[in-house]
Amino acid sequence: MKPTRHGSARYVPTYCYNCVAGPDLLTVKVEDGVATEVRPNFAATGIHPADGRVCVKAFGLVQKTYNPHRILTPMKRTNPKKGRDQDPGFVPISWEEALDEITGRLNRIRAEGLLDDRGLPKVAASFGHGGTPASYMGTLPAFLAAWGPMDFSFGSGQGVKCTHSEHLYGEFWHRAFTVCSDTVHSRYILSFGANVEVTGGVCAVWRHAEARVRGIKRVNFEPHLSVTGAASAEWVPIKPKTDGALMFALINTMLFEQPRERLDIPFLRDRTASPYLVGPNGYFLRDPESRKPLMWDTVTNRAQPYDTPGVVAALEGAFTVPEAVEVGADDEVWTYSDVRVETAFTRMAETMRPYTAEWAEGICDVPATRIRRIAGEYLDNACIGQTIEVDGAVLPFRPVAVTLGKTVNNGWGAYDCVWARTMLACLVGALEVPGGTIGTTVRINKPHHNRLASVKPGPDGFMTANVNPTKRGKWEEKPTGRNAHKTLVPLVGNGAWSQALGPTHLAWMFVRESPESWVRPSYPEMWFIYRTNPAISFWDTHQLAETIARMPFVVAFAYTVDETNYMADILLPDATDLESTQLIRMGGTKFIEQHWEHQGVVLRQPAVDPCGESRDMTWIATELARRTGLIEKYNAALNRGAGSVPLKGDGFDFSLDLDKVHSGDEIWNAACKAATAELTHGADIKDLAWFRENGFFVVPFKRVDWYLYPTMVEQGLRFELPYQERLTRAGIELGRRLHEQDIHWWDRQLAEYEPIPRWHDIPEIWINALRNTGANPDDYPFWGVTTKSMQHTTGSNAAVQLMDEVAGNLRTHGRVVMNRKAAEKLGIKRDSWVEVRSVANFTRGQVELVEGIRPDTILITGQFQHWATPYAKDRNYPSLNTITPMSIELTDANGSGSDVVRVSVRPIEEVAA
Amino acid sequence: MTRYVMVADLRRCVGCQTCTAACRHANATPPGVQWRRVLDLEIGEYPEVQRVFVPTGCQHCSDPPCVAACPSTATRQRADGIVTIDYDICIGCLYCALACPYEARSKVDEPVYAYGDDPTASETARFDPRTIGVAQKCTFCVDVIDAGVAAGLTPGKDRAATPACANACISGALTFGDIDDPNSAVSRLLRENKHFRMHEDAGTKPGFYYLWDKEALPL
Repeated sequence: MKPTRHGSARYVPTYCYNCVAGPDLLTVKVEDGVATEVRPNFAATGIHPADGRVCVKAFGLVQKTYNPHRILTPMKRTNPKKGRDQDPGFVPISWEEALDEITGRLNRIRAEGLLDDRGLPKVAASFGHGGTPASYMGTLPAFLAAWGPMDFSFGSGQGVKCTHSEHLYGEFWHRAFTVCSDTVHSRYILSFGANVEVTGGVCAVWRHAEARVRGIKRVNFEPHLSVTGAASAEWVPIKPKTDGALMFALINTMLFEQPRERLDIPFLRDRTASPYLVGPNGYFLRDPESRKPLMWDTVTNRAQPYDTPGVVAALEGAFTVPEAVEVGADDEVWTYSDVRVETAFTRMAETMRPYTAEWAEGICDVPATRIRRIAGEYLDNACIGQTIEVDGAVLPFRPVAVTLGKTVNNGWGAYDCVWARTMLACLVGALEVPGGTIGTTVRINKPHHNRLASVKPGPDGFMTANVNPTKRGKWEEKPTGRNAHKTLVPLVGNGAWSQALGPTHLAWMFVRESPESWVRPSYPEMWFIYRTNPAISFWDTHQLAETIARMPFVVAFAYTVDETNYMADILLPDATDLESTQLIRMGGTKFIEQHWEHQGVVLRQPAVDPCGESRDMTWIATELARRTGLIEKYNAALNRGAGSVPLKGDGFDFSLDLDKVHSGDEIWNAACKAATAELTHGADIKDLAWFRENGFFVVPFKRVDWYLYPTMVEQGLRFELPYQERLTRAGIELGRRLHEQDIHWWDRQLAEYEPIPRWHDIPEIWINALRNTGANPDDYPFWGVTTKSMQHTTGSNAAVQLMDEVAGNLRTHGRVVMNRKAAEKLGIKRDSWVEVRSVANFTRGQVELVEGIRPDTILITGQFQHWATPYAKDRNYPSLNTITPMSIELTDANGSGSDVVRVSVRPIEEVAA
Repeated sequence: MTRYVMVADLRRCVGCQTCTAACRHANATPPGVQWRRVLDLEIGEYPEVQRVFVPTGCQHCSDPPCVAACPSTATRQRADGIVTIDYDICIGCLYCALACPYEARSKVDEPVYAYGDDPTASETARFDPRTIGVAQKCTFCVDVIDAGVAAGLTPGKDRAATPACANACISGALTFGDIDDPNSAVSRLLRENKHFRMHEDAGTKPGFYYLWDKEALPL
């Protein structure tokens, strides 16, 4: 919608990117210079998947702008002591003084060296959830790039609040940093803890609502009846952290109780590594000359390299191969004659054989008959053999999908779940095809805006993978960041996002106390924080706040005072959502469940003047660059695309002069022109003035490009399933490297590197963790779990009254949610107060009694228990983050932890705010 | 004739409260006053339990008890079915609120702001002193409808003539329109789907319909 006037009102197009499901396109009504109302942008009808509608969070932006508790001038701390019990004594200062203080310190660091004596960056930065700050931070990324080594190790919840294992394995297996159902074509979805109606944004909500009316069936497995459970055809109250066992049982049922022709044999044979032969030591059997993996060719009745023309591979069975080799960890080679081997598919099936429906019933608390019925329904809807035409291409049509939520997707057991989910897709050929389980975006590989282009042929018929080296001499023995992501987690890779993916809680733990044979990392000399509040959003938040208080010098871009910037030395007021300028990409395919038939760019622009002395982030970033003598590198980074898009490309060049200080308008004008030139190959170039009028620019995006399958076929590649040879090798090598350093505290994680996952009594890990602290597990009889609030998640909305008010219409908001009968046994009544205690800490709140939760589980929504953030601190809501401990014991091989904790519940007297 | 109604598809609604927030914006209601809101209800006992989200508000009944209860004639019903309150006449007695089976009416006796005693800039800009001390409720955004109709637009079809909640709904659960027009979206939805009205036994004949494909909800 163009900025238009009705009377004294203007309607300004812009976007909201409070969560990863953005951008939502919106218009802001402005009356006499005051933003008064948010509305959908119906100019996007037919372009945006939800026709320009906006999420509830966007309606909080007006209050967010005029919140009287905002920081509206730079401030400095006057109390040198830091801590929750110390008033920071913030006093207003000028921008000149604030920037002088910051850049003076930065210049000293540059002069003395960017790394400390342990090789760690002296400057660190942390940003909020899921990369969302990148849609608000203007050109700050260009300053970060110009600076050089910077540590992004300190997370605000990454690894424990995201779908961490899905990010890593999803991208490894099918370029799917985030995975979803192809809802517009799906007929049957198994949802394990995925709460897409809350976290999927308007596009997902719209797609699923359309699908429900069309007749889709979704079965939701979750310990409590979430919003997504409510909107599903069936709710299965599964025991927490047993999702992997249930999925194993589904696989078992399909493999051993259903005829093979109900599976997609051609897909398994030709698009996966199922036919690859596996040798006695557990590695692929390889051709002695070419070292290529071997398959058993049913035409010539002999083993042939996987890419031999005309080969028709045996999917399963055992075969004798006359001459072959295996290549193990650190290039160890075994040579064989007449070796008896099995296919990877047979290995997988035999591993799954014990996991019957009856076996799972005892673990998951789900009847075997129900598991069998669901497995049958999945196969009934898989449409094996059917095809569909998309943009002129004929593709397999497999309208069944499996989605996973947070907690299922983090920490111990997550590998089981992501593997089993992807295997369930492979069994019926439903991976990356219409109707099936598909990806949205990439973040570990490049380019981030085109996952199909990230597919490159790699070894053994698979895609390339950004895996950190584990071989001697190449392994990063000495971490270059405080969370040691390259040292400990091969699969997280080394892309721009990798360090922030974690294991970020290790950074917080290690700076306090390092494990055996591990040099304790230093605190960074300067820490920048933006749109994040880890002292609320991470775990063990009381201790985390104490750790933050030890940071020597903290610069916080601050909206209000909060629990993290309470420990800051300088507060900088940045212009917020409705006050500043930025251009970002939109459309195509991206997380969470956005599959558009358009792609383009959208402008965020000042609907109103910035309040007080708040300044646009681009101005701040430019000043930081100018005052640190980095303007040339900063401009060069902008020209490379650090601000939004590359400013130079085929047939266009809007590069900025390297040695000049450019205004925000000059920078974004160049970005607007470059973005539209890129999208139209130079045919239609729009400038900043055009975007201010029109808001966004799009070109068509082919629906066939929602799916990876055609690219895999075109490049002759296979999905790297079911057998994880490459990762198992990496795990063994990693273990050797760590043991060579006398590091043994990661051994439990190393055991997770299995070529095919086996069940390891996942819930018992939490019980044992209790025992290891000296606690009696019987004293903590409940599972404490959490769920997100659409009104609050990732939006810094705890201080926004409207969000709190409308969230209050939901029974779970701000409450400890318990099963009615379970509460009655403890004498707990609705609205009464309880204390929820773990071994780490306690939290208190009022109780909501419901039927839709397991009797052994309690639920606390969102992330609260604020003690500094104005408005939020008066709400007196409980928080699971307060009581969830950080520990290596509860960290999996990929560095993530599950948002679940064993707790006790007892009634208490009312607690005053 | 024209009879405006709202249709809420309970198969679609996810309880996100976007309609609630959009209504608060469009009508500048103060904190705590929600002309449109979504209930979060449960049916059954563990483990056989359903959770359902139910948008509600003024039902714009054909036989509205609030009109009969109003001693000042401030509450009236238009020919198109929309129940209105004339703030200049209303004496704030709240007989209407007591008569309403849907708890659809509110009253604030003094200004209420989001952050304490002082209004924000947007609250100052939107403040309407007429709303103090009188009954208030959903109007189906009657001003928008009237302006739209005057401009030749069709409420429920043209966004500029449609209530804010229906425009904002991100699941497509809320549909507004003229039930007397057989070609309207609301007429089609009611023709093609099972539906019910809230507290139908009260005889109020609500102009608010719910689509639901399962057993009737105990509403």
